Amino acid sequence: MLKTRAWIAIVAAAALVLGLLSWYTLTKKGSGSVVEIVQDGKVLRTIDLDLVAAEYSFTVECPEGGSNTILVQPGRICVAEADCPDRICVHQGWLSDGAAPVVCMPHRLVLRLKDGEEADAVVR
Amino acid sequence: MPRGKLMLPALLLCLLLCACGKAAERSVGFFAMDTYMSVRAVGADEETLAGCRSLAEELEAKLSVTDADSEIAALNAAGRGILSPETAELLRRALALCGETEGALDVTVYPVVRAWGFTAGAYRVPTSEELTQLLQAVDYRGVEITGEGSVLLPPGVELDLGSVAKGYAGDRLCAYLREKGVKSAILDLGGNVQALGGKADGSPWRVGIRDPDGDGMLGVVSIRDEAAVTSGGYERFFTDAEGRVWWHIIDPETGYPARNGLLSVTVVGPEGLRCDALSTALFIMGQEKAEAFWRADRGFELALVTEDGVLRLTPGLYTRFEPAKDLRCTLEVIPDA
Repeated sequence: MLKTRAWIAIVAAAALVLGLLSWYTLTKKGSGSVVEIVQDGKVLRTIDLDLVAAEYSFTVECPEGGSNTILVQPGRICVAEADCPDRICVHQGWLSDGAAPVVCMPHRLVLRLKDGEEADAVVR
Repeated sequence: MPRGKLMLPALLLCLLLCACGKAAERSVGFFAMDTYMSVRAVGADEETLAGCRSLAEELEAKLSVTDADSEIAALNAAGRGILSPETAELLRRALALCGETEGALDVTVYPVVRAWGFTAGAYRVPTSEELTQLLQAVDYRGVEITGEGSVLLPPGVELDLGSVAKGYAGDRLCAYLREKGVKSAILDLGGNVQALGGKADGSPWRVGIRDPDGDGMLGVVSIRDEAAVTSGGYERFFTDAEGRVWWHIIDPETGYPARNGLLSVTVVGPEGLRCDALSTALFIMGQEKAEAFWRADRGFELALVTEDGVLRLTPGLYTRFEPAKDLRCTLEVIPDA
């Protein structure tokens, strides 16, 4: 009798631990603050926006000519200036909504969040 | 009772294994069809994802209006030609949508779009005489297509399937992934979003709708086995010397960018092609006509953002819309009747 109770207790404890563990792993979200700057499929730079203390900017040169100036502020990032013909990357504004990348087609440049958390994708 | 003792640990082991067996999610991003595409799929292997890219590139090679080797460019150059069965079918469907929207969507508006410089990024404001001249060749009703895919264009008429191509690509990619046994995927084709099934955990995919008047989102809609496509003038536009803003969605009636009181139109429905076509057409129609079109059709859901800052949702979309915490728009439901 006692033995059975001990078993039940062990099993219950194990189930609880397992349950908590799987709950944690299944619901855990990415921090949503790590941005990758990708050119033609290659990750040029990774920036954790939560660790940005002061504003700075840098320029990404396109191998085929042209460049984009990336502006980084605490918690956010955008293409501030670009010499591409359509300037859509500049019009897209801050990369702040989780799942929509900022894209410069002519320069094949993409700013994207590593783990968006607000949504799975953004229609735009 | 040794069997009883073994039962529970065995059950637990099963549970543990189930948790581990959660299929891996893989993603791929690539440039195709003049845009950046990304595909996230659960349980797809690398080969399947590479197949997505090839499929998009294949479609681009057939449909691109700027690639001189494409079927469409060849047809435009010669004024006549025989299309592959797939391109012919897409053209038939696109022409049907032009008819259904009474020409708000017109696949022959390309020469006007080119005159504005939207195809090459060399923006300019054409004179009204130039537009009047160009508009004479804008009429989808003049395009003749036979059952065998032989097409005849009237003089000066040029086709562009750009308003339906990405939507169609979404349908094709979803069908391809389904064929490969994938049951859960989310595609972002340059802003057109299309979902295959729901998420791996069974919940729907959460798709943000971009705020046309700011950086963030208006809110999130839940979708499953559906496409969501937005048309708006807030990304692809230019400002002329006098400070006037001109965006890329051209009204085939006037030849000027469509300015009918809307900032963006989002269409959610089962088919990417139709959502793509309707988002453009309804943007051109403006609020009243767009809502009347929805009331007559009911085969899709609709979100409109008006220039005076109102977000209007169909009842079916309202129930699965989660507004952003900092939503500045007034939220209204489009009347059912």
